[in-house]
Amino acid sequence: MSATSGTKKAQRNHTRKPKFQADLAPLEDRIVRSLKEELQVSSNSDFMSDAVALFQWAVGERRRGRKIFSESTTGEKAVLVLPRLERVAPEAVLPHVILDWNEKELATLLDLTRGEPAQPTEALVRLMRG
Amino acid sequence: MGVIIRRLQEDDVVENFDCQDEVLNNYLKNHAWTNQQKISIGVTYVVVDESAPRIVLGYFTLASSAVPRDSFPTKHVRGLPRYDLPLILLARLAVDYRCAGKGLGPQLLAEAFRISVAVSEQVGCRCIITDAYRDKVSWYAKYGFIPLESTSENQPTQRMFLDIRTLKATLKS
Repeated sequence: MSATSGTKKAQRNHTRKPKFQADLAPLEDRIVRSLKEELQVSSNSDFMSDAVALFQWAVGERRRGRKIFSESTTGEKAVLVLPRLERVAPEAVLPHVILDWNEKELATLLDLTRGEPAQPTEALVRLMRG
Repeated sequence: MGVIIRRLQEDDVVENFDCQDEVLNNYLKNHAWTNQQKISIGVTYVVVDESAPRIVLGYFTLASSAVPRDSFPTKHVRGLPRYDLPLILLARLAVDYRCAGKGLGPQLLAEAFRISVAVSEQVGCRCIITDAYRDKVSWYAKYGFIPLESTSENQPTQRMFLDIRTLKATLKS
């Protein structure tokens, strides 16, 4: 008996879908509603699913080094530039340069890299959260 | 002011850029594009206003580098892994003086940090290094850069270090 209820519980847990909740600013909320209407998507789940599929496609394209652009009927092109997408582009791999070092700099560098990392400064935390 | 930070493009307008430092102006106007696209020794990212998306208001340049293991002083290498020390060089960072005080410098720095973390996860990297003008050392120190002791104190720049683990901790916290 307990084994059966345990199995059912495990199945329930397995099929439970993760929830996604987001706080939207009033403007974003209006945009989402407008998009849902335009796309004739009734539920938030379907909207989210389509948005994820589109984002996944865009990430895949940039990862392959492809540009994403729209083209007007007259042939004018507009390239999509989104900083987050640029970070996954293969061009993010940086070229290599050689630096000159003096002995004292190298000794300090080694001490710093061997030690525990410094705690982030307050300004750094604010910067990265901004 | 809504801004976009992205890679430098060939048709970006850089002619009027002025950060009141001729070396940094000259780099953007005459070398950044060539270095990025032709000889591949640095990638430049620019900040532009959404309403004028071709006019460059500020930029930074990144490159990768490494310290060869055998260049460390002999007395320090004991216990060191048998690999070179990979790092990212923040080679240039400048903002047009007409945009001073609008927070573009910190925004550029934050983007440089995010790219550095992303790159470190792809190819490995231990730290970010920059050669800061001496009057900018405190600005970089505010964001966690640590000055490296040097034997040549008379140079116009101070070499500074930021551990990539510090940055990653910031993003996780």
